[in-house]
Amino acid sequence: MNEGISKRINRIQFALLSPEEIRKMSQVKVITADTYDDDGYPIERGLMDLHMGVIEPGLKCATCGGKVDECPGHFGHIELAMPVVHVGFIKEIKSFLDACCGVCGRIKLTEQEMGDYRVKLTEESISNSEPEHFALMSKKVTDLASERLVCPHCGAQLKKVILDKPTTFREEGIKVTPKEIRERLERVPDSDLIFFGLNPEVARPEWMILTVLPVPPINVRPSITLETGERSEDDLTHKLVDIIRISQRLRESRDNGSPQLIIEDLWDLLQFHVTTYFDNQTAGIPPARHRSGRALKTLVQRLKGKEGRFRSNLSGKRVNFSARTVISPEPFLSVNEVGVPEKAARELTVPVSVNVFNIEETRALVKRGPEPRDEFGKYVAGTNYVIRPDGRRMKVTPQNAEENSTRIEPGWTVERQLQEGDIVLFNRQPSLHRMSMMGHSVRILDGQTFRFNLADCTPYNADFDGDEMNMHIVQKEEARAEARIIMKVQEQIMSPRFGGPIIGGIHDHVTSLFLLTHGNPLFSEEETIHILSYVEIDHLPEPEIVDGKKYYHGRDIFSLILPPGINLKFRSKLCAGAGEKCEYENDPEDKDVLIIDGKLLHGTIDDAAIGAFSGAIIDRIFRSFGPKETARFIDRMTKLAVGFISFRGFSTGISDYDLPESAIERINEIAEDAIKKINKLIEIYRAGELQSLPGRSIEDTLEIEILSAAGSARDESGKIASQFLGLNDPSVIMARSGARAKMLNISEVAGMVGQQSVRGGRINRGYYGRTLPHFEVNDIGAMSRGFVQSSYKEGLSPIEYFMHSIGGREGLVDIAVRTSRSGYMQRRLINAFEDLKVDEERMVRDTVGSIVQFKYGEDGVDPTRSDHGDTVDIDQIAFDIKQGAKK
Amino acid sequence: MTVLIFKDSKKNVELFSKETPSKYAVDFEVPDEISEAYVTTDGKSFIYRLSIGEKSTFKDSKNILKKKKTGLKSIIEITRIEKIEPLRIASFKKSGKKLGSFTNFDYVDLQSIKMSEKADYTLTLAPDIRDIIKEAKERNIEIPESLAEHLVKYKKDFSKKEFSELLDRVGKELSVNMIDPHEAVGIIAAQSIGEPGTQMTMRTFHFAGVREMNVTLGLPRLIEIVDARRTPSTPSMTVFLKKEYEENEDMVLSVVKELESTTVLDVSDIVTDISEMKLVIRPDKGKMKERLVVNDDLVSALSKVKGIVIDNSDGKDIEIRLQKESFSKLYQMQEQIKTLTIKGIPGIKRAIARIEPSSGKWVIYTQGSNLKEVLEVDEVDSNRSYTNDIIEIYNVLGVEAARNAIFNEALRTLNEQGLEVDRRHLMLVADMMTFGGSVRAVGRQGISGKKSSVLARAAFEITTKHLLRAGLIGEIDPLTGVAENIIVGQPITLGTGAVDLVYNGRRSAQK
Repeated sequence: MNEGISKRINRIQFALLSPEEIRKMSQVKVITADTYDDDGYPIERGLMDLHMGVIEPGLKCATCGGKVDECPGHFGHIELAMPVVHVGFIKEIKSFLDACCGVCGRIKLTEQEMGDYRVKLTEESISNSEPEHFALMSKKVTDLASERLVCPHCGAQLKKVILDKPTTFREEGIKVTPKEIRERLERVPDSDLIFFGLNPEVARPEWMILTVLPVPPINVRPSITLETGERSEDDLTHKLVDIIRISQRLRESRDNGSPQLIIEDLWDLLQFHVTTYFDNQTAGIPPARHRSGRALKTLVQRLKGKEGRFRSNLSGKRVNFSARTVISPEPFLSVNEVGVPEKAARELTVPVSVNVFNIEETRALVKRGPEPRDEFGKYVAGTNYVIRPDGRRMKVTPQNAEENSTRIEPGWTVERQLQEGDIVLFNRQPSLHRMSMMGHSVRILDGQTFRFNLADCTPYNADFDGDEMNMHIVQKEEARAEARIIMKVQEQIMSPRFGGPIIGGIHDHVTSLFLLTHGNPLFSEEETIHILSYVEIDHLPEPEIVDGKKYYHGRDIFSLILPPGINLKFRSKLCAGAGEKCEYENDPEDKDVLIIDGKLLHGTIDDAAIGAFSGAIIDRIFRSFGPKETARFIDRMTKLAVGFISFRGFSTGISDYDLPESAIERINEIAEDAIKKINKLIEIYRAGELQSLPGRSIEDTLEIEILSAAGSARDESGKIASQFLGLNDPSVIMARSGARAKMLNISEVAGMVGQQSVRGGRINRGYYGRTLPHFEVNDIGAMSRGFVQSSYKEGLSPIEYFMHSIGGREGLVDIAVRTSRSGYMQRRLINAFEDLKVDEERMVRDTVGSIVQFKYGEDGVDPTRSDHGDTVDIDQIAFDIKQGAKK
Repeated sequence: MTVLIFKDSKKNVELFSKETPSKYAVDFEVPDEISEAYVTTDGKSFIYRLSIGEKSTFKDSKNILKKKKTGLKSIIEITRIEKIEPLRIASFKKSGKKLGSFTNFDYVDLQSIKMSEKADYTLTLAPDIRDIIKEAKERNIEIPESLAEHLVKYKKDFSKKEFSELLDRVGKELSVNMIDPHEAVGIIAAQSIGEPGTQMTMRTFHFAGVREMNVTLGLPRLIEIVDARRTPSTPSMTVFLKKEYEENEDMVLSVVKELESTTVLDVSDIVTDISEMKLVIRPDKGKMKERLVVNDDLVSALSKVKGIVIDNSDGKDIEIRLQKESFSKLYQMQEQIKTLTIKGIPGIKRAIARIEPSSGKWVIYTQGSNLKEVLEVDEVDSNRSYTNDIIEIYNVLGVEAARNAIFNEALRTLNEQGLEVDRRHLMLVADMMTFGGSVRAVGRQGISGKKSSVLARAAFEITTKHLLRAGLIGEIDPLTGVAENIIVGQPITLGTGAVDLVYNGRRSAQK
């Protein structure tokens, strides 16, 4: 293995290849357009010459002697019969032809100007790190020189050169051949190159006209053998074949003294092939096509865009030691764990380097072979490969395990299968923030899916409707340390986005703890023990004796999982916005959750206490007790919640939305009133008596009024519905506790669905003047424009259903558009900001060293550690001190 | 004090700074009174100060350093050289004027720049806040103003002992909460703004405060902000009047009238009468009332147009004839009059005055924005009036104001969507977009296109252009950023990759 000294690339300089250099690095001059002979052996001096590398097993490279995976490939070259222009540099060639004298080659500036600009440009290139400025300045200079038609040096009268796109230059209609251009460019002295921004040390202008073409190594353009035995060549090889053919014909015609016209045609053809070899999407040139009609993928196409080399192979790479499968929930795992199926664990390995301290263990490990189990048939980590110090890997099989175990010595590496406790990275795409990839410790489980605690769904934005996730096994000690110390789930509980917890209870966790603590119910000893059996707690809280029997309060049960010493007071979600007394609590004290020394004294636990994004208790524990304790709390909290709700039972159904007859009548009345009101508005409008709102046309005003009438009708009906549906209704419990859904959704089911909208207005598209043929033309009444007066429970009429679908479809389209737009915005943001970092003095700098901020965020505080953005939570500290004083 | 300034090559400066004290031959004469010189290498900023001892005319001898090979005139003795904070050319004066440029060398006066002692900003704070900051400082705790403000409340309620404990714990928490060095704050900021983007609405239009007015919100607005578009899709202003006029309805309406730009077509119909060769303008009473225009305004606006005769004898319709009759001119005139501005500020399409329910004061909301001219209106309170057009703020008020505008607009957009994003991330975005002195967009035209690394630029967008260009100018990729190091397969330079660990081994000698 190549361990030991690691080198770092310090910098990379770019340059142009000169013809000499192309020849120098070439291993073979390619002269034959053919690839393989009849035996399938590469033709010498052909495009697949063995000097350029090997792609077939069994053959050896003629240059380095390496076999298939050893030889890196070598360049060859083609001598072009006549020079051609390089498409990528057309603009630069043009500016040279414009600004330089065609006779003497000097730039058309007077000595005086040259002196001035030279000083300016050298200054610019030394002092300015931004190439843009330099380019702008050089453009100015060349523009000035281009305007002159008389050379100030030799006095020659010059003609204007016109670029006939894409690759032809003309002087007063007469073509300037690439050969002529090259001769002109050769005359430009090195000292004048600075005006064009060229660095004479790395580039000469005449190198932009090609006389020699490098042929890329075979590894770059491998040919594939189809099942039929037929060979299929790479697009680049096809293109090179064309170039060699035409170049040869051109050479022959030229030497035979063929007519000028034929030579010129061939020359143009050669130019076409070389142009498309570089870029097959050049404007003004028909793309070169494959026999099937597919456009060829040539050099530029290989690099460019999302599927190009840069974005798909250099900025992102495929990796080994990774796994992907469907995910499913497992409430009995810790948030820090992930359940890995046995099948995956057997494939994935961790390298263990053998040394004098672990030689005995590693020997035992290898001895177990690749599929060991303990006496109960349970999974035990085995070994898949052993790697010798020279890098050779040897597969461990049940047969050779014994033998291999005796062979390993310090210096060897053993690839051990996954075992419980290994740290792995777990990831779900799209990876929008850093919590999309976190460190988990492995638990080997039966089954075929990855499993994790439900609290981890929020940061991954995962659900279990078929989602898949990826797992990566970190391979180095350094990486493992980082994964464990920085990336582990417990370290990521606080979101850097807003300085609050992003991991917390969801859905049933919230519902369950709400039910456990709301109104502080009593549970018998037996019940309490059952509930607590889910959590590893071996003692009971203080009992309340009723009729000689022991009973326990729900809040006291919850208090058992709180860390001792925690003091906290906050408003519960249930009572958010309540005044002196909360309408949902009997005891006015219960509107605030009060926790003193780890005891829940008042209030109801809901989303505001333990929920992801908002959970005040989780927030507090993380700040006061650290990540480990928080993970423990979340583990026990989720288990307690699951334990309690599965004991108590909780279900929801359509009967949740049953309203008494009187309420339904009132809702219908409201709907009728709304329709009447809308009709009235239309009447007023038709009579021309509608007062327009300032800045709006009368039509707009009407729409606004109707929308607000329809909106208030829905709100009214919602109010009535929630009047009759109290906190004993499961759906309402979910909405009020913040577990799932909003009261609005309940009123849609029980009361009225309301106005459907497209682009913020009523639905008004479809036929001429109407939305459906069921209406009269120009009917702008409530029903024809998408007002749904039914409730979901009652059911929608066909027309209502159709209108509702229109609104629904808009939502779907919206999501599709949004994801792509916000994705691109994030890519741009990341690209623009990726290099910023805080330096040792807590200043924010970019890569060049420019200071972006003198103090990060004006106070130097990490948003992750801030209290929802505030520098320090003074109130909480004060509250703690007061509690301490009371004691 | 007269000093010598001159320009020299980097190589020379290196040479004589290494060999100081030394004798240096220069290509100009040096008067006797000069004892100090400043050297520049780029002609812009002076970074070396030389102390000059003896001066003599040039004689070729062995132990002297030469500025040039020929044309040397005198020799100066450099006794001391020190690197200084860069001085700009403008720091020097010649015959009382600031120096704009100089060629090879010059004798100038060094402007003595006196930094007046920076006033202690805490003096501007309320005394109780100042006391708390002072008290904290005695305990070696630097407390931000906002925290001190918050602490005032506890100063009263708490006993002395309790309060000092509070201060200590606040100080401790503050130091714990500091950001870690090498943290990749840029990526965190980009993620924190990008991630909630998926949850934002696409609805372009929304009613903000005034339901008559449309404002772009949500994701489109956020994209617009980071794009630094020249004009937002819905520019609008919130114009406050000076305190004394705020409750005066008449005054407010007159300002509205002054702001709102109204064209002839907005308040009237224009009819072309070809047979009579005239234009007839028929004012619309309703529209005129709505736009606060009277007939006289219309006539006076029209009277400024050249080459026409106006007839408004009956006080109703206005007839317009050309001085020289011609059909094509008539049509041209019609087009010209259609868009003729009667009154108002260009760019302000609508202005609506409203009483703000929370304060009971009048506020004017406008559609369209023209910050410069609105601020020039006397009655307008230039301190509070606001536009959502960031580039306009940049042009009128400068880059610092633009930075705050980006921050405020982004924060407002996110908060309006009910998304919680730490303001530090938005600050970083605003600072990154503006720290170069102008507003730069996020994207290939702006920040990403100006990166120092070829590979990073090529990997982002327009791959080939960057690569070809790099070859010509022999660009060097310093491999300092993230993207380029990933491309070459090296650890990145942020976070744990920014530090190196060296294991020294156990020192057996020390036991």
